[in-house]
Amino acid sequence: MPTIHQLVLVSLAILLFAVGLGLSVARLRIDREGLRIASKACVWSGLTAALAVLVWHTAARPTGSWLPLEDNFEAFIWLAVLLAGFVLYVQRTRPLGGLDWFVLPIVIVMLVAAMVLGKAKPKEYVGTTWYWIHLVSVFGGALAFAIAGAAGAMYLLANRRLRSKALPHGPKLGSLERLERITFASVTLGFALLTVGLITGWVVLKLDGQTGLGAHWYKSPKVVLAVAAWVVYAVVLHAPINPSFRGRKVALLSIFGFVLMVGTLVAVNLVPGGGGGGGGNGGSH
Amino acid sequence: MQRLLLLGLNHATAPLEVREKVAFSADGRDRAVEALRARFPEAEVTLLSTCNRVELYAARQTHGHPRPEEMIEFLAQFHGVDAGVFARHLYQKHDRDVVAHLFTVASSLDSMVLGETQILGQVREAYDAARERGGTAALLNPLFQRALAVGKEVLSTTAIGEGRVSVASVAVDYARRIFDSFSDKVVLSIGAGKMASLVLQSFAQLSPRRLLVCNRSADKAAELAGRFRGEAVPFDDLSDHLTAADIVVSSTGASQPIITARQVTALRKAMRYRPIFLIDIALPRDVEPAVGDLENVYLYNIDDLQQVVAGTMDQRKDAVDAARGIVARHVDGFAAWQRAREMGPMIDRLSKRYHQLAAEELVRTLNKMQGISDTEKSHLEELTRRIVNKLLHDPISMLRKSEGLHGATTQYLHALERLFHLEDQQQRGQQTDGPPDPEDDRGPGE
Repeated sequence: MPTIHQLVLVSLAILLFAVGLGLSVARLRIDREGLRIASKACVWSGLTAALAVLVWHTAARPTGSWLPLEDNFEAFIWLAVLLAGFVLYVQRTRPLGGLDWFVLPIVIVMLVAAMVLGKAKPKEYVGTTWYWIHLVSVFGGALAFAIAGAAGAMYLLANRRLRSKALPHGPKLGSLERLERITFASVTLGFALLTVGLITGWVVLKLDGQTGLGAHWYKSPKVVLAVAAWVVYAVVLHAPINPSFRGRKVALLSIFGFVLMVGTLVAVNLVPGGGGGGGGNGGSH
Repeated sequence: MQRLLLLGLNHATAPLEVREKVAFSADGRDRAVEALRARFPEAEVTLLSTCNRVELYAARQTHGHPRPEEMIEFLAQFHGVDAGVFARHLYQKHDRDVVAHLFTVASSLDSMVLGETQILGQVREAYDAARERGGTAALLNPLFQRALAVGKEVLSTTAIGEGRVSVASVAVDYARRIFDSFSDKVVLSIGAGKMASLVLQSFAQLSPRRLLVCNRSADKAAELAGRFRGEAVPFDDLSDHLTAADIVVSSTGASQPIITARQVTALRKAMRYRPIFLIDIALPRDVEPAVGDLENVYLYNIDDLQQVVAGTMDQRKDAVDAARGIVARHVDGFAAWQRAREMGPMIDRLSKRYHQLAAEELVRTLNKMQGISDTEKSHLEELTRRIVNKLLHDPISMLRKSEGLHGATTQYLHALERLFHLEDQQQRGQQTDGPPDPEDDRGPGE
């Protein structure tokens, strides 16, 4: 359970990410180096604040393991931190203009989710190895799909700009080829992790039977949406075999798949009987 | 007296699909000038046709031929298109406006890409072609010579061309927005002309895996390919080359599209639906517009690229103002020269004619007067001279004050010719001397 001070720090991180996002989007109108630096500084500060909360929360935990995904609060902040870290890593190694426009909103949503959904109590079965593998793989998959969705959205925007035959102000979005490659790489990784997550989830269900999904677990919105996302990404990965299925179609599907993943999280945490019993852990069990 | 007339359309008034219908190849332009000369032997004509404009310049007698409607009819007949297709996109200019327009064009101030130097060479080519076919004489010779000098002055003394983004560099920029690396890409040039060379030069710097040059003339293809360490490939195998290509630069002089939507659709499977970037810098266009609607096909024509280039002009506003100042000064200079050229001899003829009439009447009167002294005779001569001078003073003063090449002035002069029967005395000059301080522009080409 986060303390009030930790929540304040998360709020600060949200504010910093939001300002960083605003400054970056402002470059569409006024492409100045000062804006870029200020935006980057805000994102770095937001990341630092989020990491500080994570460390603080973990260190202040009275009992339990060192596993970082013990409750929703930590899980969502981890996702946000990793996504923000991905943005900063890419911008440092091989800049991809506009990446933050698409990833930072997801980061902000994750942090808000941490504040809203972070008060749920963890379940007893959280400590099992199978469950931990399940959590890590599903969260890792969600992270990869978030990146794929962002890259897909960037692809659509870049494609639209090319079709409009205008060179707009602001940073370049990166080439279609690179965006498509990032989408594929992320989907490939996410698909593998999601597959592991689904299998381990089934194992957890069979071994422990304590997931709250009941006898008709296969009808629960969480399972249905997760399997649907898995199918969508399987179709995306089918593109190299059927080359007509590439470009815009892949981008659209990667976004759709991410929406399904978000739906899974919503089903776990917000829908009564969605799979998490209204207060489950991390939206993935 | 002669009047200037211009009929034309350009990138600002007509879309590409209209311009390509009335564009002239170099050979077509020459034939058109000859046809115009044959049809309107009294007129001077010059035809300027580039990818951005088609303009027909004429110098003719007042109320002479060709008239604007005859010029439209000529364009329609020559190209075999209905005049309705292009007539509403045409602009007409007269006299001083023609001078100002041509000077602006030669200075690249009317180009889609301000500051581009190619237009000066194109104006020179148009002028040379017309001159060699007898299309230019007393008025168009000095006009075009001065236009070339003005263009050269603007491009060499202002910063209008500095920091200019070229069409080739914009094409490369777009390619970078589609492709991440070029070491595995194939660049295909269809055509081996000057524009193809310029664009290929930029793409060659990206070190593509292969650079192919495909042209109907194998020699030209080999020459261009050799310059960029590329390969000359047969034109007959165009479909195979298209299948292999990632970037296609097309710039042939074909009158019909050589790449059709049907053809590309059929090739897409063999191309594994990978993105293809088509740069069509030909006029008429080489690639059917519908090709650009296909998935993962990115088609850009010359207008698309030039519009982007034109968007970079804000930073050169000061240079544009300076260039416009130069143009305005030279338009004034040319108008003054034209005024002197047209009015001087006419005023002289008018004055001589009336002094002669007065002298004849005086002689007749003196013959009727007996015993008149030399002093009295001198007084009468002075009287008639003064009366003629007084009568002519106002109209001549007004003509001298009016500005040459303005519609009103030319109307005055024309009226003068008709009212005072001066036409028969006028000799149509074939002189090619230009306005004061003419610069024989044979400077460096583009």
